[in-house]
Amino acid sequence: MTRLALALGVSLVSLAAPALGHPDFTGAWERYPPPGEKADPRYAPSVIPDPDLKPQYRAEWERGQAILKKRLEEGQPAGDNYVHCIPDGMPAMMMGMFPMEIFQRPEQINITQEAFNQTRRVYMDQKLPKWDEVDPSFYGASVGHWEGDTLVLETTGIKDDVRFRWTPHSEAMKITERLRLLAPDILQDQITVTDDYLEKPWTYSYSFRKMKDYKLQEYICTDNREYVDDKGNQRLRIDTPPAAP
Amino acid sequence: MRHRFGSRILALSLAAVTLTAPLAAHHSFAMFDNSRSVTLHGKVNYYQWTNPHAYLQIQADDGKGGNKAYTLEMTSPNMLHRGGWSSRTVKPGDQVTAVMSPLRDGQPGGLLLVLTLPNGKEMLPGVPNAQRYKITS
Repeated sequence: MTRLALALGVSLVSLAAPALGHPDFTGAWERYPPPGEKADPRYAPSVIPDPDLKPQYRAEWERGQAILKKRLEEGQPAGDNYVHCIPDGMPAMMMGMFPMEIFQRPEQINITQEAFNQTRRVYMDQKLPKWDEVDPSFYGASVGHWEGDTLVLETTGIKDDVRFRWTPHSEAMKITERLRLLAPDILQDQITVTDDYLEKPWTYSYSFRKMKDYKLQEYICTDNREYVDDKGNQRLRIDTPPAAP
Repeated sequence: MRHRFGSRILALSLAAVTLTAPLAAHHSFAMFDNSRSVTLHGKVNYYQWTNPHAYLQIQADDGKGGNKAYTLEMTSPNMLHRGGWSSRTVKPGDQVTAVMSPLRDGQPGGLLLVLTLPNGKEMLPGVPNAQRYKITS
């Protein structure tokens, strides 16, 4: 009798555990530390180093960085995706502009970023396609597997004009991520970008904090009134009041 | 009065800390003159709850004996929502007071910094780095 009860108890425990005993990342997360808050050093994200590009690509990158720096000093937008209401794509999306939601099932994990309703879909325990088997896209093809308590994601097939920090890359670029809980409410995403364009892999990490009861909101651009004029200045299209009814 | 501005600026910067996205805002706000503000009293023409920005248009006294439609840019609905706004916070016809950083190019409009609702409640739209926008009006 005791043995039966014990066996039942054990099987109940294993049934209740999420995704075969793996940690469950399901929920809403915000980038940690949020603005104005000092990070607990145990959970702080890494510094993002400059990418170590091969010389033939570095010149293009440096030109871009000079433009970015100048635009920043002028207080003008860089003219990148967001100004045109175009989503980040990978790996930029993981910077966590706004809250993100992870939806975890044993066979598939979706990660949605509130900005632009961006969603990446990760298929578990499948083989990563070769880059040239994938039609290049913003989020590419992603597969995942567990290594202990760490979720390992591999992504390839990112369009060459979908860039993080204006960094040129080939369509064969591969992004490997290692996600794990540093504390029950702190998630770390360690990102490693490998590409023929790079001398060595580009590695950095982000941290996220669980948001209690937060529901992601819709974000669809329907009226983008900001534009960059021919002098590179940001302008606003104002309009006339609606006609009286 | 000085004291009141001081506390308002503090409140704005606190709101910015709580509400803004982690990085530099995805849009720069260089098109607004952050060295001064303009206060508008008038009636709401429309309140538009859209991405990437919400807009509020107010028919207000232009200071020259007439009145004009001023278009005010706000942050995005998701940020506004986290800051306590909804799509029904104001409605056409409401009599409001708005403090804005005016557009540098002289068009009638600007960046909304503070909105006082008909019931007297002051709403902050969570402008990123709000402490950089001087309230002088």
